[in-house]
Amino acid sequence: MLHLAGGFTLKTIHNEMVTTEGQCRAHYRTYQRWLDDTPAELLNRKRREADLLFHRAGITFTVYGDDSGTERLIPFDTIPRIIPASEWSMLEAGCRQRVQALNAFLNDIYHDQRILTENIVPADQVLTNPQYQMAMRGVTLPHGIYSHISGIDLIRDGDGSYYVLEDNLRIPSGVSYMLENRRMMMRLFPELFATNHIAPVDHYPTLLLETLRSSTPIDAPCVVVLTPGRYNSAYFEHAFLAQQMGVELVEGQDLYVRNGRVYMRTTSGDQIVDVIYRRVDEAFIDPLALDPDSLLGVPGLMSVYREGGVVLANALGTGVADDKSIYPYVPDMIRFYLDETPILNNVPTWQCRDPLQLSHVLANLEDMVVKETNGSGGYGMLVGPMASKEQLDTFRAKLTAQPSAYIAQPTLALSACPTFVESGVAPRHIDLRPYVLCSPNGIRLVPGGLTRVALTEGSLVVNSSQGGGTKDTWVLEDDTLPQQEGP
Amino acid sequence: MKLKIEHSTRYNYSLPLRSSIQYLRLVPRNDASQHVIDWWLSLPGNPPPLTDGYGNVMHVLTLDRPHQQILVEARGIVELNPNHDGRVHDDLDPRPFLRPTSLTTADEPLIALTETYLSQSQDVTALGKLQQAILEKMPYIPGSTEVWHSAQEAFALGSGVCQDHTHVMLACARYKGLPARYVSGYIHVADEGHLASHAWAEIWLDGAWQTFDVTNQLLRPNQHIKLAVGMDYLEACPIRGMRSGGGEETLHVHVNVRANFDSQ
Repeated sequence: MLHLAGGFTLKTIHNEMVTTEGQCRAHYRTYQRWLDDTPAELLNRKRREADLLFHRAGITFTVYGDDSGTERLIPFDTIPRIIPASEWSMLEAGCRQRVQALNAFLNDIYHDQRILTENIVPADQVLTNPQYQMAMRGVTLPHGIYSHISGIDLIRDGDGSYYVLEDNLRIPSGVSYMLENRRMMMRLFPELFATNHIAPVDHYPTLLLETLRSSTPIDAPCVVVLTPGRYNSAYFEHAFLAQQMGVELVEGQDLYVRNGRVYMRTTSGDQIVDVIYRRVDEAFIDPLALDPDSLLGVPGLMSVYREGGVVLANALGTGVADDKSIYPYVPDMIRFYLDETPILNNVPTWQCRDPLQLSHVLANLEDMVVKETNGSGGYGMLVGPMASKEQLDTFRAKLTAQPSAYIAQPTLALSACPTFVESGVAPRHIDLRPYVLCSPNGIRLVPGGLTRVALTEGSLVVNSSQGGGTKDTWVLEDDTLPQQEGP
Repeated sequence: MKLKIEHSTRYNYSLPLRSSIQYLRLVPRNDASQHVIDWWLSLPGNPPPLTDGYGNVMHVLTLDRPHQQILVEARGIVELNPNHDGRVHDDLDPRPFLRPTSLTTADEPLIALTETYLSQSQDVTALGKLQQAILEKMPYIPGSTEVWHSAQEAFALGSGVCQDHTHVMLACARYKGLPARYVSGYIHVADEGHLASHAWAEIWLDGAWQTFDVTNQLLRPNQHIKLAVGMDYLEACPIRGMRSGGGEETLHVHVNVRANFDSQ
């Protein structure tokens, strides 16, 4: 057995469907029975049908840094990930609590800085962070909401307990896959939705629109989705969400600033824009204020934003709160701002900026996952137990040269869910990203979120940019209801 | 001492512009070293004064009717405090100014320069020697660089203007863990041929911002009038704009700072 620091072991892997004794878990029983009764040929045909439908719908994903291709299909697996109602209510409460504290933190660090003065989060780590946005100083946002849309990445360790792997407060993507996966499952297997009590997710665009509309004090505001354009990896999602919400999808060149307001050019004249669902990276939103070479933004937007003439969702400067070097302090934020006990666990994290912690990391590198503090998408990370000697040496050199750019965590087992693979059905590692919508009317989630699955055997990296796939995520409406027998 | 400033910027275009937008940082603020007696801005349109994240006063000029000329004029009288010790205090936390920007990142030649002068000590004397070395390695040659040149590029070229000198100073200081910021403003010089628009560095030493004017080899403000501060040129420059249409642009800048004037 491979022992890892912090009591984590690689040996046990929590299987979402089957207990260690080989019993099907209660919440999977109805599905399991259906799976046993369904001929393999039918399942294969349905999988091919799903591939074809996704291709036809044009739901593809652009992979950066891949010479071979630009767009490819994110593999969809037809075996759902199922979460019992009781588990979901804990996760939901935990995500709400976390997002509330993270928003309070952002409001604090751009105003009074109480948490820094009281030395609960080291001021140096916040104020010297590349994501600390000077332009947000002195800006008061409606209701103090910075992260309107958050993606909280959850995993389960060997004993089945949930951990937050990271918070995504900049531009969390993937929610269109959550919606499309559900549509696909209902189309392919309508009978499953008659026999299982599955909480719906299709009201997400309605909730998102309500969140965006209520983010401004203006009545009947004009909301738009701002996309970098069709070459962005998530362009499909931008178009999809705009269409689902019934709002305009715009690029920077469709907007302009005049006398303190943002206008949209339309065929029927120009219209004031009140809320921008911003899917363009912060650095590119205003070439006069930030990156001067940006062609994706709107010149002057920053000045309107600072004066409260437009709402950006998410706000600027949120990246400092989801930075991996700030992540270890989120439980402290929850205690500090909310005076509550954190519901969701954090993964124990070593800060390589600290010489003592760095030496521990270097001594145990082959057991660790090392991440760039400011990285995302699974790029630039090391999974110690899977790494070659060369990779380990490279990271040793990187860590020594620039320790503050990295954090390290124990290699978590990540739970596994049965998945269709070449050889039949086999367990593959999964994570979960619920989407958390924060508005003055409360913090809301649709049940579930996006389940990502690492399709390579043993792989712990579920990012779609790294070859991951997705599954439909079912939250059962009531654990006490017997899931019904099929007809 | 009272100084009278006249600063006009005129853009002419060979074709009518469809629209243009400018961020202007053209209003000095009162502080321990300067007192603004009078200040006028003459702009097309009537934009309200705003502030940016650094507390600089900013005006945003948006023109969306066809135009072929933009004239921006600032003028006023500022009194300098002769007793000021040159150490600046304000409410900006110095720590964000530790972060390098794309214009102020030290590459190997700049790191080597920094290590030569700052490896033993990082006090005023050491920084003074560093700024002397910077001017020796990149003498002031107007027109030798463009506004988008970074500290690395200007240093490699071996010449520059005040903006480049300041960027190099910032890159070296930040590399050594000293908070450093860009200041844009005016300077009064006896030589009328010298451009009165100016930029210099402020470095956080012993709890205050210390002036380093590389171009003039000064360690304290001397007839400097401060307009704005920022991480680098892009955030502190007096005018940053964009336009659509307009063909060829011709720029006329006139800056005059006088000490002896009729103050009727």
